[in-house]
Amino acid sequence: MTTQDATALQAQSADLFESEVARLIVGALSLEIPPEEIDPEAPLFGEGLGLDSIDALEMSLVISKTYGVQLRSDDERNHRIFASLRSLAGHIARQRAG
Amino acid sequence: MRSDGTLTPRGRGEIIFYRGAAGPVTVGAFLDAAAALAARLPEAGHAVNLCGDRYHALLGFAAAVLRGHPTLLGGGPGAAPAFLDMAARNYPGAYAMVDQERPGTSMPLCRVDAPSAAPAAGWPAIPPDRVAAIAFTSGSTGQPTAHIKPWGALVQAAEAAAQRFGLREGAVTSVVATVPPQHMYGFETTMMLPLRAAVAIHSGATFFPSDVRDALASVPGRRLLITTPLHLRALVAEGRPLAPLAAVISATAPLPRETAEAVERDWGTPMLEIYGASEAGSMASRRTVEGDRWLPYPGLKLRPGVATVPGIGEVALSDALEFDPDGRFRLMGRLSDLVKLGGKRASLAELNRTLAGVQGVIDGVFVAPEDLDSNPTSRLTAYVVAPGRSADDILGALRGRVDPAFLPRRMILVDALPRDAVGKLPKRALAALDP
Repeated sequence: MTTQDATALQAQSADLFESEVARLIVGALSLEIPPEEIDPEAPLFGEGLGLDSIDALEMSLVISKTYGVQLRSDDERNHRIFASLRSLAGHIARQRAG
Repeated sequence: MRSDGTLTPRGRGEIIFYRGAAGPVTVGAFLDAAAALAARLPEAGHAVNLCGDRYHALLGFAAAVLRGHPTLLGGGPGAAPAFLDMAARNYPGAYAMVDQERPGTSMPLCRVDAPSAAPAAGWPAIPPDRVAAIAFTSGSTGQPTAHIKPWGALVQAAEAAAQRFGLREGAVTSVVATVPPQHMYGFETTMMLPLRAAVAIHSGATFFPSDVRDALASVPGRRLLITTPLHLRALVAEGRPLAPLAAVISATAPLPRETAEAVERDWGTPMLEIYGASEAGSMASRRTVEGDRWLPYPGLKLRPGVATVPGIGEVALSDALEFDPDGRFRLMGRLSDLVKLGGKRASLAELNRTLAGVQGVIDGVFVAPEDLDSNPTSRLTAYVVAPGRSADDILGALRGRVDPAFLPRRMILVDALPRDAVGKLPKRALAALDP
């Protein structure tokens, strides 16, 4: 397999995981928006998906239950982790692998 | 000990903060830092406390009290622009106390964490009638209502709480709190208590369940967790062990009995609740598993619709209370159109007025779902008549004017609202509009 193939495969599996996390969030927070309509680059909080801190707590619970990944406030990268669906899914995938 | 003119009667050697890697802070070091900060504050004014760190928040509050500046509660690092605008407009000399950069803030900034010169001589005694804080509630008038908190009243309330929760005997109790210090419940428990009771506050992050577990493990001795039903639900559901606790206190909304039972069983600790309101502060407590009756705080008088608070006077209550002959009471529902979410409250009438003020909105109404108190993912719905405007347009206009917790999670655009002959909106008729 060439490096290009590997990169493409990786990107594809990241997309799949992103949709899985999107379904998880929409289900846990009873959101009206269909998971596939969430813009993976849009902010989760404030503008964009419009989530608030109550949702963040609920998300941390479902993420911990499903993937065993603990979200922490003192994480310096927190701003980036919650910046979008893509960054959140990436963080969960990395933490789960590590 | 009634208001003795000092910030705190505690010994200078006692611990008042655990600051993680920065180490513990003694009462003496804290008082010196507060006196030095007070010397750096503007001549006169009102303090808007936007500090995210609990140590900085209390340092700012203490300095403002010494200087005679009331602290406007309701801020915090995520303060709504509408709150800051209100403070700047209504309070002369309003300035923001901050512990991080905050570009674009519409009032002068004072960095609480900047180094201060050596303290000047001591500050004069604090009179009991000095306004130490002003809390705000959203009423149905469209403008927030201010509630004045004299220093003497705050001291008496803190001492009543210390007595109720046994915080003056023996060793210092370590407090881990998940509630913001600029919210009335968090203000009383993490700003006033450390000044007037033998408690030391953990100042690090406590938002996510793992933060809380780490925080509790990092502090010594008798541990007290001060939190909300939302945080407790997440902590219990995760099911991971916590460091041993002396007690857990919850407030902002009634705690479901199952959660209280799980806390007592899984953590082996009493699960206590406080009943309070921004207008009156903490008024009563109960141990949830012992029943639904509340025991009023010492010194406070309650009767249906009214609390008489020492140092403040009579305060109207927004809940219906039913009393037993022994003075304990039950909560029998709300008397007003207030809705509570995540420890914040809003008036539906005021939300409707804000909605009506959005350009292009002809008619509109916010509706609270039945399960608002019990389901953490439950949010408000809005039915809106706004020809030619999208739900996103309207939501965008509401942001910044409405606290994020109260933004409608569902916005249903309709041609007309089913108002009856007197202009009222029957719930059933509204529900029939759901897509």
